[in-house]
Amino acid sequence: MSESDKSLRSALGRARHLGSARRGSHDAWLTQVSAAALIVLASGFVLTLLTLLSKDYNGVRAELGHPLPAILTLLFALTATFHMHIGMRSIILDYLHGHARDWALIANICFASAVALACVYAVLRIGFV
Amino acid sequence: MASSDPISPSPAARPLSPHLGVYRFTLTMAMSIAHRITGAGLYVGALMLAWFLLAASMDASAFAHFSEFIQSFFGRLILFGFTWALFQHLLGGVRHLIMDAGYGMDDPEREQMAQATLIGGFVLTLVVWAIGYAVR
Repeated sequence: MSESDKSLRSALGRARHLGSARRGSHDAWLTQVSAAALIVLASGFVLTLLTLLSKDYNGVRAELGHPLPAILTLLFALTATFHMHIGMRSIILDYLHGHARDWALIANICFASAVALACVYAVLRIGFV
Repeated sequence: MASSDPISPSPAARPLSPHLGVYRFTLTMAMSIAHRITGAGLYVGALMLAWFLLAASMDASAFAHFSEFIQSFFGRLILFGFTWALFQHLLGGVRHLIMDAGYGMDDPEREQMAQATLIGGFVLTLVVWAIGYAVR
């Protein structure tokens, strides 16, 4: 006996709300905007890192203590962790289901936030301590 | 007897949509997969960025630990892989932005963009490492 023989719900009623959440395009937009920003920010950060290669502990701190490298690093870290969070979320939503998906989504928020805050804390500490 | 699948109560076997195995290998497909894999790699690799900044924000011995790691063979290998993943993902992202804007999806362009992503990722990696070794 199939369910449809016993249920009073219509076929439409059963199918309703089982489709897409209709919010996917917002994530795609946020990914694109952060990606465009990261083209500039990542390139700038790689150039900054190249200037740090010849420096020791004090030299690196002095360089990252300047406003421009510090703000570039902060912008890069925050934009990158934001972009990372959305990207990993779409990977999780593609491959995981049920409780594994829920835990993975929570872990994703924790990881991306922890990396973001660690970077912000470190850059501010270099600048102000 | 309730089916576990709420929208297909009928137990009749239905045709499934074709999955990955039926597709022939193409470069555009490989670059799409590489984009996701490098993205996931960079996600984990972000820990290295946090470690570097935290080490620089703490005392000299914390920074020495990071320096020792990143200058070791293993550390350089990881950093090289991270650099390649960054540029592969960056160029793949540009490719996706172009295609999202509606361009470059026809025959010569899409192959050329996929090739440019693959070659450009390695070239940029080698250029940055060459500059890195030159200025250090």
